[in-house]
Amino acid sequence: MAVNWAQVFFNSAITGSLYLIGAVGLTLTYGLSGFPNFAHAEFITLGAYIAYSVAAQFGLGPPLALVVAFLCTGIVGFLCYRGVFQVLAKRGATIIHLMVASIALGFVLRYSIGAAWGWEPLYFATVWPTSSLWSRHDIGSIAVTNLWLWLIFAAVALAVTMHFVLTKTKIGKAIRATSSNPELALASGINIQRVIWITWFLGAGLAAIAGVFRGADTRIWPMTGWDIILPMFAVAILGGIGNFYGAIAAAFIVGLAENFGVVALVALGLSSTYRIGIAFLILIITLIVKPQGLAILFRRG
Amino acid sequence: MLYVLDLIVFIGIFGILALSLNLEFGFAGLANFGKVAFFLIGAYTYALLSQIGVPFYLCLIAGAMVSAAFGLLISLPALRLRADYLAIAILTFGEILRLIVKSESWIAGGDWGISVSPAIAISGGSHRVDVLVNIGLVYFCLLICFVIAQLLANSPYGRVMRAVREDEMAAEALGKSRARYKAQVLMLGSAMAGIAGGLYAQYLQYVLPGMFMPMVTFTVWIMVLLGGPANNWGAVLGAVLVTLFDRGTNIAKDYLTLPIDPSNLQYILFGALIILVLLYRPQGLLKESPIKTKALESVKRERSVGKGKGS
Amino acid sequence: MAPDPRGHPRAITVGYNLLGIYGASVHLAENMQSRRQFVTGEPLMEEAILRIREVSKHFGGVYAVNGVSLDVKEGGICGLVGPNGSGKSTLFNTILGIHRPDGGNIYFNGNCINCLAPHQIYALGLVNAFQLPRLFYQMSVLDNMLVAARGQQGDKLLNSLFLRRKWQEQEKGLIEEALDILELMELDRWAFSPAGELSGGQRKLLEVARALMAKPTLLLLDEPAAGINPVLGRKMFQKLEDLSRNGTTFFIVEHRLEILFEFASWIYVMDRGKTVVGGEPEDISEEPAFYRAYLGEE
Repeated sequence: MAVNWAQVFFNSAITGSLYLIGAVGLTLTYGLSGFPNFAHAEFITLGAYIAYSVAAQFGLGPPLALVVAFLCTGIVGFLCYRGVFQVLAKRGATIIHLMVASIALGFVLRYSIGAAWGWEPLYFATVWPTSSLWSRHDIGSIAVTNLWLWLIFAAVALAVTMHFVLTKTKIGKAIRATSSNPELALASGINIQRVIWITWFLGAGLAAIAGVFRGADTRIWPMTGWDIILPMFAVAILGGIGNFYGAIAAAFIVGLAENFGVVALVALGLSSTYRIGIAFLILIITLIVKPQGLAILFRRG
Repeated sequence: MLYVLDLIVFIGIFGILALSLNLEFGFAGLANFGKVAFFLIGAYTYALLSQIGVPFYLCLIAGAMVSAAFGLLISLPALRLRADYLAIAILTFGEILRLIVKSESWIAGGDWGISVSPAIAISGGSHRVDVLVNIGLVYFCLLICFVIAQLLANSPYGRVMRAVREDEMAAEALGKSRARYKAQVLMLGSAMAGIAGGLYAQYLQYVLPGMFMPMVTFTVWIMVLLGGPANNWGAVLGAVLVTLFDRGTNIAKDYLTLPIDPSNLQYILFGALIILVLLYRPQGLLKESPIKTKALESVKRERSVGKGKGS
Repeated sequence: MAPDPRGHPRAITVGYNLLGIYGASVHLAENMQSRRQFVTGEPLMEEAILRIREVSKHFGGVYAVNGVSLDVKEGGICGLVGPNGSGKSTLFNTILGIHRPDGGNIYFNGNCINCLAPHQIYALGLVNAFQLPRLFYQMSVLDNMLVAARGQQGDKLLNSLFLRRKWQEQEKGLIEEALDILELMELDRWAFSPAGELSGGQRKLLEVARALMAKPTLLLLDEPAAGINPVLGRKMFQKLEDLSRNGTTFFIVEHRLEILFEFASWIYVMDRGKTVVGGEPEDISEEPAFYRAYLGEE
């Protein structure tokens, strides 16, 4: 069986990029607020729908639609935290209660989306028919679309920007300080409240971007986020909860595992629907064997 | 009328699931977010065995035992993992199971599932009679599960369960092996879920992967949280209310015109309801039931009599 | 596959062995402990119910306990004093099994208990009362006491369901015992109240009461009189002394030196993770090492 390894490798980069953009918010909020936010899936979905809507209503192109989706979903993310999770936490809710609340919030968002836009899948190609995103060409033996190239670019840009923000800016250093030692951060005068709010805003916004790419790559429907939320948890946990640099490594590990895994599956005669099971396995094995993930390899970040 | 009977069967089956989760989470503090996995195992075990002609009660017992075996498997990581890690791990486990059953059609028909013959088929009877038979069977099992759950809760065993829930290290230091109690509770809870699965399979007369989505787990959680954790009556109450709400909104569709499609509205309200419960009444509708044993009750009575006599 | 000569189907034999291997590996995993044996010094004392030899425990490189050796004689009250941070609570937690010692050995009644889980150590008769009470706050005071009771029939799964008469009888007796101890601690009025409703001092008393309920052979008490009014404190120590005459041994950390020195028959002093000196109370109070270690903090 002839395998186009270059293609598999490239596909890994695509998958990894998508997971990275989506998982950054998840891992940061999990680390800061201490609970897994299952509603993050709905942030992803919402991003796709908002981008679609502004493109359909106002004829905005991809870049602007992305920005709008980022901002709007970011606000939604902030409101979810401020209105539900922060209130619950103040009343002494346990991790499990917060987790259940996030699942419930996910219901509200998901079915509101379903109510507003219906459950029939939508396609970005409908609103951006002539966009260069869809054009396919070959680089050597690798088939690429511009969409994928933009996705990889976005992930790289995110990594570089976040690294800069985390190491050079005041807010970035505040985020790192609060992540590793909230009491110390508070004592050194950092406004933890604001750091948390910004992180939730940012995380949801990034999820939205992931949603747009995912929707563009496959389709937009109310389960867009939920379809990929478990692999994102795999990335967050493998990389070490709250650890941005770990998430980068984990995203690409999971991406590689999934895509090379598909090759293995086909070679073994198993169905390729098991693809998503690879991320599931990584998630379970990480949790059981080393729940801290790769955090040990990476300095706090 | 048939619709109401159908509702009653579902309440019974989900009542068993709620009792099982209540045992694990309400009393013992184990956050089992993979309830649907054991439901699935019980259902598929029942389906496969009944296909080769095994009588229904053996199928049910087998479903319970296979589920319990998986419950035991889960208890190993359950010892070492933090509550949220465990929750995610079990949830993922359930998804893996569903994926396998979906993809491997040789197991049980893949996406299209397989059909299951009813437990007790009364030849020549109407559909209504079949449902009534089912109600009898389901509620018999529900009664047994309820009695077991109550007996356990109101015994020294129940005391230890709650102790492990509150502070497992302190309980351990007082001689209670947390490994043993967690394993036993998970096995028992999984066995109950397995029975519920078998009952479900034979009532609906088919099983397919789409019946075992994570939504089922969340629905059972809502039942327990709403009804009141650590209260068996609360678990049943939660099952009643949530099932009524779930299926009730489907009826409403026929009689009311709503701005929002009921199938969406139902889950929006579900989610909002849970958030409200968590915000304003986290202990649920019925508070945690205190431990009631004969000895404790008689001592309580003696004391109040003593006080009344002017101590 | 060749038929098994004993006549069992081979699969069952294999299954049995696998189960055995599984069980053994679980047991092994639970008890895996580096078996470094440190050479023990000469025994400090005969008839020691608790022997600690060169025990150390560190957290991330910081040694909380760094070479503790001591013997606790059977029967009687043995005291452990030392400034805050000298490692006393960590030592207790290591003895009762919450931490595994990184080095050294702990012997209880001749058994090496380094590798045992807390519930196994309890079964041998070693019970502990924590410095910060670890009560079951949602349960009643009486229920807290009953959890601690030893040898209950009703806390086994099948027994609790099917042998109800048996444990119900036993429970009546246990309730009587519990109420007696609670009466001593002046807590019997709150027997049916949730433990969460007790005041700080009362919680300490319940912590001690609960440990006494467990009928220990050796009882570790971490600051039992802290936060208790002096009269009640002396009453408690009086009761402990009575119990010690009946064979229970007490190993007590206490900062209330005046009470401890009055009742204890032997005192060890700890400083910075090590035992520095041990002796009878009158001798200790004249030891320069004691003053250096203890009062240097103030």
